[in-house]
Amino acid sequence: MTSPQLCRPWEHAWSRRRFLGTAAAATAAATAGLSGGLSDGLSGGGAAGLGPWLNPAIAGQVEQKRKQVVFIWLDGGMSQLESWDPKPGTLFGGPFRAIPTSVPGVHVSELLPKSARQMHHLAVVRSICTKDNSHSAGVARIQRGDPKNRGVTYPYFGSAVAKLLGPGPNNLPPYVWIKPGSGGFIHQDAGFLGPKFGALAFGDGKPPENMLRPESLTDADDDERNALRAAANRRYANRRRPTVNDASSYVYDTARTLMKRQDLFDTSKFDPKDVERYGTHELGRHMLQARKMLEAGVTFVKVNSYGWDTHGDNFNGHLSLACRFDQPFAALIEDLAAREMLDHTLVIAMSEFGRTPRINGHVGRDHWPEAWSVAMAGCGLKRGAVIGETNDVGTWVKSPEFDIGHLFHTWFRCLGIDSKKVEYDNRGQPLPLAHDDCQVIQDVLA
Amino acid sequence: MELAQLKSLEADPQLVLARFSPCGKWLLGASYDARVRRWEATADDWAEKPSIDGHGGWVTALAFAAAGERLYSGDSWGQLRCSNYAAAEKPAPLWSVPAAHDGWLREIAVSPDGARIATCGIDKRIRVWAAADGAKQLDFALGDGPAFVPRNGSLDGDAACLRFTADGKSLIVADLKGQIELWELDGLKRGRKFDAGVLFKYDRLQDVGGVRCLAVDAGFQWLAVGGTIPKNGGSVTGVPTALVFDFATGELKHTLSFGQTTDCYVSDLAFHPRGFLVATTCGTPGSGQLIVHKPGDKEPLFSTKKMANCQSVALHPDGERLAVVATNSGSNGNGRPLTKDGAYVTNRSPVVIWKLPA
Amino acid sequence: MRRCSRLLDLRLLAACALAFVQSLGGLAAPAAAADLPLHQRIDALIEARFQAPVASGPVAGGPVAGGPASDLTTDAEFLRRVSLDLIGRIPRADETRAFLADNSEGKRGQAIDRLLASPEHPARMADFLHVMLMERQGDAPEWRKYLTDSVAANKPWDKMVRDMIHADPADEAVRGAAFFFTKRLENYGQNPVDVPGMVRDVGRLFLGVDVQCSQCHDHLFVKDYTQDYYQGLFAFVGQAQIRRDVKFPALAETPLKKKVEFTSVFVKEPRVIGPKLPGGQEFDVPEMKPDEQFAVPPDRKTNFPGVPKFSTLKLLAEQLPTAENRAFARNMANRLWWFAMGRGLVHPLDLHHSDNPPSHPEVLDLLTAEFTAHQFDIRWLLGELTRTRVYQRSSRLPEGVAPDSVPEDSYRTALEKPLSSEQWTASVAEAAGVAAYERQAAEGWEKLRERFAKAFANPPKEPETEFAPSVKAALFLMNDSAVLGWFQPANGNLAERLAAIPEPDRAVDELYLAVLSRMPDAEERAEAVQMLAKHADKRPAALSRLAWALLTSTEFGVNH
Repeated sequence: MTSPQLCRPWEHAWSRRRFLGTAAAATAAATAGLSGGLSDGLSGGGAAGLGPWLNPAIAGQVEQKRKQVVFIWLDGGMSQLESWDPKPGTLFGGPFRAIPTSVPGVHVSELLPKSARQMHHLAVVRSICTKDNSHSAGVARIQRGDPKNRGVTYPYFGSAVAKLLGPGPNNLPPYVWIKPGSGGFIHQDAGFLGPKFGALAFGDGKPPENMLRPESLTDADDDERNALRAAANRRYANRRRPTVNDASSYVYDTARTLMKRQDLFDTSKFDPKDVERYGTHELGRHMLQARKMLEAGVTFVKVNSYGWDTHGDNFNGHLSLACRFDQPFAALIEDLAAREMLDHTLVIAMSEFGRTPRINGHVGRDHWPEAWSVAMAGCGLKRGAVIGETNDVGTWVKSPEFDIGHLFHTWFRCLGIDSKKVEYDNRGQPLPLAHDDCQVIQDVLA
Repeated sequence: MELAQLKSLEADPQLVLARFSPCGKWLLGASYDARVRRWEATADDWAEKPSIDGHGGWVTALAFAAAGERLYSGDSWGQLRCSNYAAAEKPAPLWSVPAAHDGWLREIAVSPDGARIATCGIDKRIRVWAAADGAKQLDFALGDGPAFVPRNGSLDGDAACLRFTADGKSLIVADLKGQIELWELDGLKRGRKFDAGVLFKYDRLQDVGGVRCLAVDAGFQWLAVGGTIPKNGGSVTGVPTALVFDFATGELKHTLSFGQTTDCYVSDLAFHPRGFLVATTCGTPGSGQLIVHKPGDKEPLFSTKKMANCQSVALHPDGERLAVVATNSGSNGNGRPLTKDGAYVTNRSPVVIWKLPA
Repeated sequence: MRRCSRLLDLRLLAACALAFVQSLGGLAAPAAAADLPLHQRIDALIEARFQAPVASGPVAGGPVAGGPASDLTTDAEFLRRVSLDLIGRIPRADETRAFLADNSEGKRGQAIDRLLASPEHPARMADFLHVMLMERQGDAPEWRKYLTDSVAANKPWDKMVRDMIHADPADEAVRGAAFFFTKRLENYGQNPVDVPGMVRDVGRLFLGVDVQCSQCHDHLFVKDYTQDYYQGLFAFVGQAQIRRDVKFPALAETPLKKKVEFTSVFVKEPRVIGPKLPGGQEFDVPEMKPDEQFAVPPDRKTNFPGVPKFSTLKLLAEQLPTAENRAFARNMANRLWWFAMGRGLVHPLDLHHSDNPPSHPEVLDLLTAEFTAHQFDIRWLLGELTRTRVYQRSSRLPEGVAPDSVPEDSYRTALEKPLSSEQWTASVAEAAGVAAYERQAAEGWEKLRERFAKAFANPPKEPETEFAPSVKAALFLMNDSAVLGWFQPANGNLAERLAAIPEPDRAVDELYLAVLSRMPDAEERAEAVQMLAKHADKRPAALSRLAWALLTSTEFGVNH
């Protein structure tokens, strides 16, 4: 019934890394010498437009249609058994049933009735096996793609995409994060790419403070004062390292663009029908806002929801949580498909891990990185596909296992970037985009 | 008061709850593997007899007619069944309604005259059935009727517990938002309300808490409900709490706190004929108590932490024994716990029989 | 791998080059220069490296690339830089004017001494130490007073750290120091007390060693950091608790009864350890009967927690901040170098280990030895560091040199340093000419600093060691009505001063002096005068926009 795996895959990984320890440490030393101030890879100049963002090596690889990403992060760990990989009527299956979807033969948990009707747009991978079962390390590790340790802090996927695809022609920030709680500029996401590639976070979907210009200042006045600032910066940049001035100038450009797009934040102006379809709860509002950001041209939109860590009362918990994901997720997929945006928009919905098959005494499920699922759609992925499988009780992956590195390679491929050829240039240190030992999941590509 | 431990049975996989039959001869357990397990409560060895099969998902509700050896059982896939629980061999169903509810059937109540049974489920319907053959007699939702005011979130009307009143004419219905109402079945009229809103919290995206168990004493003087005063969702924590209402007036008389925030839920409640409440609590793995408390007293008459994660308590009709469904220790943990043979570790429910002092 | 070997080659090359230069006798060897002032010895060592072979093509790191160095700063740049560093604000226009007019030989050294003696210096250093030690986790008046008074009295760093670890609660003058631990022993938001985080901070901030990953196993990639690094420190501070019986920050300790038990998640072998500094000696835990464990027994009535006979905090206070503990002196020497130069000799600051060697080991050795020999005198060391040519070099690259060919840790060109939110507050207020007015109401000034902190400070627990401009801060300076209001003429502020100057070019000069702490060049002056002419009918508003543009320019926003 259960797979007799005495040896754990993550132990192999650790020991492999320990073996590599010397080499990795040497690289760490080298990098420590580099990472003093800003790391970038920018070719000087101002920050407007696509130019300065694109590494020439990558520019040719980005296909003509501009790609976008919406990344839905369910923080704490959604249960695969109560969502994409139900095992009803089995030892660890829990109380819920599985329901048919719009794809014959594919079933999902009854807690995702609306998403089940959008299954023909989705690609679900049920054979994810990752390495970290703690939130504190797992969240960052997964979102950074868990590459081989080279002594540098890798960027979150959003920062990576911001760097590789750039902000688009409209000068909106390339990496936007709509989140509960407080907002701000989350530069830590950017890792060695440097603060410029961090996330602009809209706390509770609201714009940052000080978005409104004082009425006493006219458009012309504002343009003039900013032109004077730009002139001062040009003079300052003469014979100086470009990074500090670039980053300083960039935040002003972004701030000015945001001030002109108040419509993205004013939820009172959203179509009431949309509000109803996406749900009036927090995640519903934020997913609708994400769609608007995508429509406005933001390259990468992350939306997240907290509170999925259901160690206790898992089933009542998922009963109310899952439907509040299901509703806006299905609406988003439906809308992106209807607007023909799904062809060039990569949709990803995931957590840092799944949840244990065994049900603990608090009627909860704990952290389970061994066998879990990720739902995706669009941008060159198969439509209506389920890739990989777990065994009949959902404890282990039965088909080939895919780590987060495989997903990163796959996502980069969807975005038109060959992650086996393109490398980051960390001020002279070439770094692969994703884990060297992982590859694209070919089966999930259309 | 001191309770003595008589016996511990073992159920693998876990049980949702256990109940003694009204005749006192059987202990029945609702299992995670779609079975109703049967132990003979007459002999000392508590021999297990063939289970009642045919359910789906988890068996989630057990109820008995006062006489006639009839068991009504419900499951998380919505099925309602009637069986002769005392059959020597594997009991065959007397009748069954495969889709009594669309999904998880939460609880079953039997009318005092034994003629009708009522059920509630996550489809937000409340249904009344003929006990004789399972014919549907009534079908309504908490959201029906003019007095309905939508509350937080989208799960309004998710009734979790219900009981018939002494005259059999009304249902007491308690939901996962902490609201308790009387419903007069003839004409479906709303009656008295009891406010257990403190047992509910909307945290981030999650409805947390609500009424999780309900008990009335024999004379219908007291209505007690149990749950938690929730602190947060996710890994739910909160102070396990029972609220005791004056049934006639709806007034809240006692708020009983049964532990720390890690102890979380009052998972089950029963009134002993001698007037005290018996409760179990279940929270963070390893926590949990059996508590005997007389409403109005400051301190419990008895409490024990010997058992982890108590899911339910069943009073034997003789008033001298009770059975607690608990959970094995070490039931939780991130990552993969394996046995020596490399098998994935599962959890079990010890079922502990206690003796009450005379 | 590729990269790695190249670097190693270069390091080897550098070492050879240095040896070569020294063998020629072109530079005084450090030993021979021992009687020279420290700043001259530092410059000799740093500049010796400039002679190393010039790398061909861009070099992305390593201390080895020789090549041309930038000129020293202008006087105006120097005064701005050293004022920001030592008193936490830009110089006022009159201060800059006086400094520029001073023709005396040693005026830079005099300025350094004046600033170090200024009453503004203790407040600035208290801000710096507070941000470095608390990382925006919280503040308390007793703590601030302790830091300010200590800097004012030039209390040696070892004594300060001793106070922070084991302050006498009866001594009002030092007891605020306990806040370093008491704040970390509070719940953090909804999270429980982060004891591992506290242990880690002791290692990071006092020893330059980040023991976080060593909590559960030997560090995977830093071979120096074994698990006993964490566990040994934990044995020292794991018993610390907040005293609840007094109102001021104070620590209680439960007695450590036996050694700390731990296992590695890799090697499931139980081990024990007593109090032990990273790389240091392990201390025994004396066995005592329960009734003998307290020197002063707890008192339940008053909530007094008692004083254990064997106090591990007392032991830590005796063992950690000492001349014998080289890591202690080296950490602070490295941090003060970073304070002055914008980058640690070991960088990141909390990763001192053999695979992350200092860019200039000889400089770090010298600083460590001299800081120790001078009884951990911070003020003296800052005086020496700011006197160096390496400190006083311009942030403009040498003529005709590509940015990529001047590695940050070559120190051939000065690094631009970020401004803390406290430096922002004081400098914007000073530039606008409202600082004196705003400081009058003491409470108002604190509120002002809080508003700036909201826009400019990092979130709690994020060290402020890197340059991180933000959209939030840009929006604040663009649209905050109070800040914009400072540029309307009132109360003798800059705008009012400018309004009283009829000649446009003189007004522009005054504006540049007040905001950018220098005179405009001809092009800048002409451009500004032209702009004012265009808005002759609304000159105050035009001047206000001009001031804003300078205030929001990169030049104002960094210590360049």
